[in-house]
Parts: sequence; C-alpha cells; structure tokens
Amino acid sequence: MNNRIKELRAKYNLTQLDLAKKVDVRRETIVFLEKGKYNPSLKLAYDISRVFNLSIEEIFMF
Amino acid sequence: MNNKRKSLMITSILVMVVIWGFIALEKGTDLFKGLDLIIFILIIVIGVIALIGAFKRDKEEKEGLTLDDELSRLIKYKSGYYAYLWSMYMWLFIFLMKDKFPNIETMLGGGILLSAAISYMAKYVVKKKLNE
Repeated sequence: MNNRIKELRAKYNLTQLDLAKKVDVRRETIVFLEKGKYNPSLKLAYDISRVFNLSIEEIFMF
Repeated sequence: MNNKRKSLMITSILVMVVIWGFIALEKGTDLFKGLDLIIFILIIVIGVIALIGAFKRDKEEKEGLTLDDELSRLIKYKSGYYAYLWSMYMWLFIFLMKDKFPNIETMLGGGILLSAAISYMAKYVVKKKLNE
C-alpha cells in the first residue's frame, strides 16, 4: 500500500516527530509508514487523515 | 530517564560488575580463553544492545512520544513468537552437544545468553521483513 504521508508532511511543514506526537505513535512508526513497510490500522489511518484534513483514500492508495 | 528505570539500570550494571569481578578473580587470565571468552563477548554485546535500547527509549520519552504503539506491539508479538521457536531449536542443539561443554553451569548460562541474543535477532529480522 502506497501513501502520501511524506509529501503531505512536507506540505504542512511537519517533521516526523511532530506527526508522531500528533497521532500518538513512535517516530519509528512514521518512518515505517513512509517507507511503505507497514500498513496502519484503521484508527491510525483515520488519525493521520484528521491531521491533514483529508480522507483516508486521499492519503493511502491500495 | 525516570528514577525507577535509572536505579534498575545502575543496579544491573553493579551486579554485572560484581559477578564478573568474582569470576575474573577466580579464573584470572583463563577468562579470556575458549568458551569463556565467547560467553564474555556475548554478555558485553547483549549489555551494550540493552543500554542503547534504554537510551533510545529515554530520548523518545523526553521528546514526549509514546513508548508503546501498534507497530511496537506487533513487532513484540511477532519477534516473541520467532524467538520462542528458534530458542527451542537452540536448546535442542545445546542438549545434543552437551558433551562439548565443560560443565552444566556453562551449558545453561550459555543457553540463557543465546536465548537473549536470539530475541534481539528475531526483533531485527521482524523489523526487516515487516511487510513481506
């Protein structure tokens, strides 16, 4: 599964640490998500979509 | 680092130093030969990995991050399963090779240390192959 987290993070000027704090996960989780090495739970995908004010489908591509 | 973890770490280091002090007194220069040397290196490597892990977690805690999330739990469960499985094979191998060990303490101590090394190895492998 691909995602636009890195692109959106750059757009909103957020570091991996900032995003990790906002969605209450470890920074390592954001690293794994951006590399596409980990598929998030629905809750985490929802939390990330709330941070960027987008829908889940706009961030995560199947 | 919170006080509980700090005191636990200092106590562990002190206990290790005292134990190794007694072993060094008893064995002298023989400590750095053969199987004893392998066990000594293994203890040092595991100790260093544990320390690095503790400092990393401490840094994350100071940055205000959570120490436990869905990915870390997944890694823990998966690596726990693999470590258990591989450890069973390791113990089987150790019992098959029991004649090669000088005494039962060395055999059991080495096995316990190898179990710890296997758990770190399993964690590393699970992280590498997370989405495969």
